[in-house]
Formats: sequence, structure tokens, C-alpha cells
Amino acid sequence: DMALRELKVCLLGDTGVGKSSIVWRFVEDSFDPNINPTIGASFMTKTVQYQNELHKFLIWDTAGQERFRALAPMYYRGSAAAIIVYDITKEESFQTLKNWVKELRQHGPPNIVVAIAGNKCDLSDAREVTEKDAKDYADSIHAIFVETSAKNAININEVFIEISRRIPVADAAGGASGKSFKLGRQASESRRTCC
Amino acid sequence: MNQFGSGSPRTGGDGLGPWSRFASWLECVCVVTFDLELGQAIELVYPPDVRLTEKEKTSICYLSFPDSYSGCLGDTQFSFRLRQSVGRRTSRFGDVYNRDAPVTLQREVSHFFGYVYFRQVKDVSVKRGYFQKSLVLVSKLPYIHLFHSLLQIIAPEFFEKLEPCLEAVCNEIDQWPSPVPGLTLNLPLMGVVLQVRIPSKTDKPGGSPVKQAAKENLLPAPTLLPTIHELDLFRCFQSVLIHLQMLWELMLLGEPVVVMAPSPTVSSETVLALVSSISPLKFCCDFRPYFTIHDSEFREYTTRTQAPPNVVLGVTNPFFIKTFQSWPHVVRLGEVRMAGDLPKQVKVKKPSKLKTLDNKPGIYTTYKTFLHRDKILIKRLLKGVQRKRPSEVQSAILRRHLLELTQSFIIPLERYMASLMPLQRSVTPWKTPPQIRSFSQDEFMSTLDHTGPQLTSVLKGDWMGLYRKFFRSPNFDGWYRQRHREMTQKLESLHLEVVCDADLLTWTRDKSEVEIVDLILKLREKLMKARIQQLQVKDGVLHKLDAFIHTMIITLPRDLQTVLHTDSHIDFNSDVVDSS
Repeated sequence: DMALRELKVCLLGDTGVGKSSIVWRFVEDSFDPNINPTIGASFMTKTVQYQNELHKFLIWDTAGQERFRALAPMYYRGSAAAIIVYDITKEESFQTLKNWVKELRQHGPPNIVVAIAGNKCDLSDAREVTEKDAKDYADSIHAIFVETSAKNAININEVFIEISRRIPVADAAGGASGKSFKLGRQASESRRTCC
Repeated sequence: MNQFGSGSPRTGGDGLGPWSRFASWLECVCVVTFDLELGQAIELVYPPDVRLTEKEKTSICYLSFPDSYSGCLGDTQFSFRLRQSVGRRTSRFGDVYNRDAPVTLQREVSHFFGYVYFRQVKDVSVKRGYFQKSLVLVSKLPYIHLFHSLLQIIAPEFFEKLEPCLEAVCNEIDQWPSPVPGLTLNLPLMGVVLQVRIPSKTDKPGGSPVKQAAKENLLPAPTLLPTIHELDLFRCFQSVLIHLQMLWELMLLGEPVVVMAPSPTVSSETVLALVSSISPLKFCCDFRPYFTIHDSEFREYTTRTQAPPNVVLGVTNPFFIKTFQSWPHVVRLGEVRMAGDLPKQVKVKKPSKLKTLDNKPGIYTTYKTFLHRDKILIKRLLKGVQRKRPSEVQSAILRRHLLELTQSFIIPLERYMASLMPLQRSVTPWKTPPQIRSFSQDEFMSTLDHTGPQLTSVLKGDWMGLYRKFFRSPNFDGWYRQRHREMTQKLESLHLEVVCDADLLTWTRDKSEVEIVDLILKLREKLMKARIQQLQVKDGVLHKLDAFIHTMIITLPRDLQTVLHTDSHIDFNSDVVDSS
């Protein structure tokens, strides 16, 4: 009888970097090269075991298109983690990522776990962002960093495992860590309350 | 683990077309604005390809704004109901939802509900000096509480972020699972997940709604909705508590009632509360929570050449005082006033008084109740006000009382109706199903001495008179038709089951070709009807009969086989024009 924690996670990043493909690979273990641009946001869930807990990821996959930009706060509000995605073959998408980091620092939940995913690492011939530059940047802001390929299923589960690892133990999390979804789950959550 | 289906919504990976999930909740979302040249106009509709007639659009425009000048400054929410244009194409098949939902929560067949969030704020940049806009959810589902809760989440964001916000919301709704009676659903919307339970026909009436967990909640909106449809009855009825018995009887009998209210919010909530007061009975007359002079049915409903129709109308425009002078029952509400710490109760007045400039609240009627009012209930509620009992608890007491009253009234009818059902052993495979005995009012009345409402209700009065009047109301007609249909279908299912268990092959052995073909055609028709009506039969019955038909066909000569095979292609999914 494991405790269940619901963790709200949002994906942010430029249009076309592969946010939806990462979610699809994680939730459905499939890949569609002709996926349509997301409108607004898509919602999916997946539950995985982490140590002696079940982590139910409530994943909000947001649209990267500029016209939906103003909607992002609705999706990162109350999020335990944000996965910010860029495309290693597009320098510009890495710059956009930095803007998302700034916005989260200013307006996001205080203890939000940030993960940076350099997607499309299968296309290293066309690389524009070096792994070292990205890693250095991620370290400077204490973010998780991985290069991923939704297409070849590289490092996708790892991002989420790393998020599970970094999520503060329940209730020590302050305002973040999916507390907002506690309603109706009191029984499983309260078990985790200490002192 | 993913409850929201696979398949990205736009590609329809689950075999459903774009907007089909959306359509199981909403017809469309409209933004209605005030244009200096055009008056009210629809500024935006989602989905963009929704089919609304010009007449429907015009009605939506008028019904989405306060009718007359009212101090609706700030944000206001209210509801309306409008008649669909005739000749709309609707699918007659496969409404499993309506089969399994409580009758009071069935999807509307020929009406739409509109759920409105209206914002009016000072805005110097606009010529008129005011920003006026409504966000309207149009649906066939009577989920008042759910849709108004959605509006509270969506509208404030929408007024700030405009079209992309609406586009996002509609796409999110298009990922929702369809409403299925009895299921608890998670509905993701704008970064939150709402949890709701869709009530089912098999729920025990008066059972507790979803339990509200502790109120520790960091989001602006609750994530667990305790109900999708229930109103705060106490708030709606607080100034007419002492007339509750009268109002319940007027609703039960489907009497023509006009509610005049100071705002569209009070008007629509009061009408919806009135209509729900006879639940679990379905209110079978037309009702308009908010009705305006621009309504396309205005003439039809206000003509003085015939008796007022059996409708309940909620209005706000003072113009209506003149229009409805000749109506038998007018409930005129004002702002709720307090007498000490109790809400002041309105008085019953003669309808002729409505003519004068006396604009005092009151119930203008000559109606005399058949049953005596429940004084204990009223005392209990008023005491509750003094003790500051929460409104939800007061509403629960009210709802309980109304439910018990309606059940006391309806149980003798249900019991008598059940006695009209033929005995199960009279259903045999070789004969058409037996008939349901016809309803005799006199025979029913004679059952009341022993098994009347006195068994479950302490209310005294002329119950017989109330039943007699009820027999002439559309609500009786609606109830009777519904029961009769259910019983007919039950007989049909029983018949199919006995036919399935019968040894049909042995029967056919010494029969002529003509008789066999006749049997095949009859069975086929029964099967088709069973499928169209979503008849609930034991597992495997329909398949077994299909297989039997097939077995019989191959025993026939080739030419007959061909005829019977080509005859069987009936398209179950074709649309039909709804002529009702």
C-alpha cells in the first residue's frame, strides 16, 4: 500500500522542439514524426513507482507557438516541476529556453524543479548547441540537464526519474510539489506528514 | 494509466473526429459583445464550424446580456434556455447517455442551455464608457453548477488573454472523456484538473453527493466539485419559504408561472430551483430561466387570445408587468430584505394588484394549495438562519423535504403502474409480447385508501384533488409515457430472451419456406429495434439470435439466400432529420 503523490509537471519551450514527442514517448512509448502543433495545452498522466511511493505525473504539455505564450502561467502555476525543452540543432531555441527560465524564476512557484532537455540528440550532425554550453548553463541555475531523443527513446524516462529524485519530500515542499491536487487525496497525503 | 485516451485530439487517433469529444459536453462557446452600430453581436464562436441558425444566433445574443438597465456592474453569472430551430439534424441512435442518466439530467432534445458570464466595467477607451462582454457556454446538458464553475475559471482569464485562451480551453475540453452516468471523471482545464461524478439513474435519490474534502486548497478554483447540477436551494427560496408548498404544487401541476426578478441571476436561479423542486420527477413543460422581449417565443407565450401556456418564465424587464397581468401566477421578487435576522417573507396578493404601481414583492395568485404547508420545516429553517447554519446545510434540509414530498406523491403512482405489467410467465416465444394494461384513473384512486401517500407523508389535505389535477398536466403525461416506454422495452427484452432460449431450429424442421422466411424477417426486425433502442438484454442474446438467423438462411435455396442477405444492410449510423 504505497503513498500516491500527484505531481503537476509542465513542458515549456519553443515551437517544434519536441515537447509533445517527449510526452508521447514517456506516456505511450511511441513516436510520430508528423505530430500536429499543440493548441493551448494537452494533458496526460502517467504513474510510476519511485522508491516506496507512486508518483502520478499530471503532465501539461503546452503550446510553443507565440500566440499561446500568455497562457503559460496557468500551466506552470502550482507545478512541482517544469521541463524546458530546446532543440540541439537550433541555437535560437536555446535562447528561448533562457527566457523561460527567467520567467519561471520571476513568476513561477518558488521551489519548482527545473529540468532542461536538449532534444533531437539523434541529429548531432546538425548540432548548433554544444552539450558543454548547455550543461554549464544548467549547472549555473541548478537545473537537471539531459540531452534527449524522443525519436530514439534516449533519456526520456531518465528526465522523469530525475524529477522524482529532486522533488522535495512531501510537505517540506512549501507551495510547490503538486500540493494543489491534494483535495480528495487527503488519506494518502497525510500519511506522509511528519512532526 | 493515461485516462485521456491516446491519439492527439486533432488527429482523432481514437477514431473520433475533431470536436466529437467536445460535442458530448458543449454545442459551442460564444463571445457576445456590444457593438454601437449592431447592438449585441457574436464576436467569436468555437468550434468555428458549429452550425447555428441565424435565429439561434440572434437569441443567444439577446439572452446573453441583461435585458434592461440594471446595476450589473462587475461580473454576473446567469443561465438561459432556448428552443432549437426546427429541422436540425440530430442523431436518433445510440443515446446511451439518456438511457442511463436520471431523467432530470438527460440531454435536451430540442433546447439548448446557455450559461453566461457577463462582465460590465467602466472603460474610458470605449465610446459608451463601458466594456460589456459575455462568455457563453451553450450545451444540451443541464449541468448548471459544473458549467458555472467552469466559467468562473475560464472567463477571468479569457477577458484578459482573449482568443488564444478560448482556443486552448476548447481544445482541452475536446480531450475530456464523455460524460457517462455513474462515472467519476477527471476534467483537465487551464492547468487544473476538476473531478466530477456524473449521477446515474440507479443512484439512490437523496443519497449524499460527493464528499467535499478539507478546504485546504491553494488553487483559485476547487478541484473536486461536490455536484454538477444542484443549486443552493435555500438561497433561491429564502424570501418565499412559507410558500414552498404552493410553489411545489404549481410546479408539479405545470401551471403557468412568471418569476419577476431584480436581475438575470436571481431570475434564472429561481426558475431552475423551481423546476428542480419536483425532482426526481421530470419537469415536462417549457421553462425559461431568463426570458426577454426579444425572445423568438415572445409572441407565442404572451398572446392574450388563449389561456397562458404551461411554461415557467423568468424575467427582469419591468415592461413585463403589463404583459403578464392576466397570468394566473406571478412571483415577484425584490432584493432580499431582512426582518431582524430573518429573511423577510413575501406575501400572497390578488393578481389584480399587479396592475397598480405597487411594485412590492409578492406572489400574485388566487391559487389555494391542495395540501397544508409543513410548518415544522419552516420553523426549522428559520431557526437555522438564526443559528447561522451554513446555506449548504439549509439547502440539504430543503432538498430532502422536497424529495420526500415528491416521492410520497409519486410512489402510489409507480406502484399502480407496476401492477399494469403482464405476468412474466405470459411472455412466450410463440406469441407477440402481451400488452400492458391501460391506466385507469378511477382504479388508481381506489388504491389510495390502503397504499396512498399517507403511508410516507404526514402532510394533510386533499391528495385526491391534487392527483386529479396532476392527471391533466404535461408532467403526468411525460411521466406516464416514460414509464410506459420502459415497461414496453422490458417486455420486449423478456420476449427476446425467451425467444433466444426456445428451440427454434426444431420448430423450423417441419415448416414451409414461407413460414421460415417470415420468422427470419420478424426476428430481424426485433433485433434491429433492440439495437436502435439500446435495449438491455442478457449478454449474448442478440448474438445468438444473429447466429440463428444466419443458420436458417443457409438452409434456404440460393436465390432466397441472396435476397435475404442483400436485405440486411441497414445503416445504423445514418442521420435522420428530427421532426419533433
